[in-house]
Amino acid sequence: MKTPILWAVAAVLAIGMSHAQAADESAGETLYSSNCAQCHGPKAKGMASFPSLAGRDAEYLSSRLEQYRAGEKVGANSGLMIPNAKNLSDDDIANLAAYISSNFQ
Amino acid sequence: MSEKRSIQSLGATIAASALILGAPIAAHSASDGPELKHTTVLSDLENPWDMAFLSDGAMLFTEKCKGLSIRLPNGNVNHLLGMNGTEGYASTADDLVCAGQAGMNGVAVDPDFAENRTIYVYSASTISDLRTNRVLRLKLNEELTDVSGRTDIVKDIPYKQEATDHPFGDSGAHNGGRIRFNPDDGYLYVTTGDNHNSQLPQSGGSLGGKVLRIDADGKGAPDNADATPEGFDPRIYTYGHRNVQGITFHPETGQPYVTEHGPWHSDEVNALVAGGNSGWDPRPNMAGRGDCPDNYCGYMPNQNEGMDPDERRKFMPITDTATYPDAMKPVWGNNGLSQGISSGVFLTGEQWGDWNGQLAVSFLGIGFGGTPVGQRINLLDLSEDGASVRNVVEMPVPTGAMRYRSLVQAPNGDLYAAVDEGQIYRIQPQ
Repeated sequence: MKTPILWAVAAVLAIGMSHAQAADESAGETLYSSNCAQCHGPKAKGMASFPSLAGRDAEYLSSRLEQYRAGEKVGANSGLMIPNAKNLSDDDIANLAAYISSNFQ
Repeated sequence: MSEKRSIQSLGATIAASALILGAPIAAHSASDGPELKHTTVLSDLENPWDMAFLSDGAMLFTEKCKGLSIRLPNGNVNHLLGMNGTEGYASTADDLVCAGQAGMNGVAVDPDFAENRTIYVYSASTISDLRTNRVLRLKLNEELTDVSGRTDIVKDIPYKQEATDHPFGDSGAHNGGRIRFNPDDGYLYVTTGDNHNSQLPQSGGSLGGKVLRIDADGKGAPDNADATPEGFDPRIYTYGHRNVQGITFHPETGQPYVTEHGPWHSDEVNALVAGGNSGWDPRPNMAGRGDCPDNYCGYMPNQNEGMDPDERRKFMPITDTATYPDAMKPVWGNNGLSQGISSGVFLTGEQWGDWNGQLAVSFLGIGFGGTPVGQRINLLDLSEDGASVRNVVEMPVPTGAMRYRSLVQAPNGDLYAAVDEGQIYRIQPQ
């Protein structure tokens, strides 16, 4: 009777993985408030020469943050974004992207 | 909506800031100032940039990408002059555009407004072959509902046309834009920026990286040319500036004081003298520097990485007294840090207690390379001769930390602060 046990193990692993991959918007909100809002604004609509993030989907936001984290220049404010993204983890990026894309249209 | 914030919490903030800075404590005690309350007078604006008051308290205000409006004393708002693509304004000027830091910036009221109903705004425009910044003279009607009679009294303030390889490097950068009448001499002062173009600040043929002193027709004050080097444009009052976004006038002497954004270090407050050189010269291949990205050394030697601000200062000083020994020395240098110094106004009136006569300066905040963001309003207590600072305190701003863009005092003495987040606040002593 190994099969049911294997299925159960597989199910537990799958649930665990999906939880690990689900973005934590609350953590994203905390990060956004402390690290992003000062330039992109409390509603992510952009301020001064800092661009709006409102309406961007999570994939776009993650992709940009990953590029900045890798030190790639994307646009005129790369010099500001690269150091800001440098220490973000994959989870941080997922959480930020989820929070911004879900809350600012 | 109004709220108070205690002096005690400010003390904690200052102490924490000083610890983070690891530098001499910049702000001491704010206990000699009045307790403050604030009211949100306007919200949901788009990048409000400047304000100017009529004598009855009506407040003209600009939004960088929208245009000019007026808030009446009863709180109603009339939209006067819209920029390209806007709706809902009494008039629209399709040549007025925005990009990056440029757009509709400063606004000023003529000293003889009661007789001539004249106001002025600084805005980017597409009328010339290449975009420029212009100073527009307008008439405001009796009903405060519309403007007319536009005359562009300055048409040739440089505007950054294209993006370059620099921090904040988009078009429209380093655009200056504050305009103020000096009550002492009656002239209009116009602050400009260097556009990330290293040739402009020391060039007498360009209005970029300058402070202009002009009359209501845009002509230079007659004694400008007596003070500036030979061949300079007669509208230039001072030169060698980087990006001046604030100007105010000493309440007793009338001397102009400007706030000047620093190059990853050393925001400055400068007391101007006619013909003065502020000592900014970011040209490559001079003063010990080699080539620089897109021929502008203004963020070097390492423009995209954090480094000790003092090391930056040695490489690329904002006031280069080695090259220009007669340059105007800064009154204050923000402890060697660049945090987005944006505006300044002398507070006057006994209601401000010990702050009466002190210079309030605002900061947008920039967190780069280990520098604390620093969003705040400081009060500078100037020495008797006005050439240095005796003491600095941080105003316990009841609004909380914001990107403070503009500080203006209303006719009744209240302080108004515009923030990039979209609000204009009234700050009053209790």
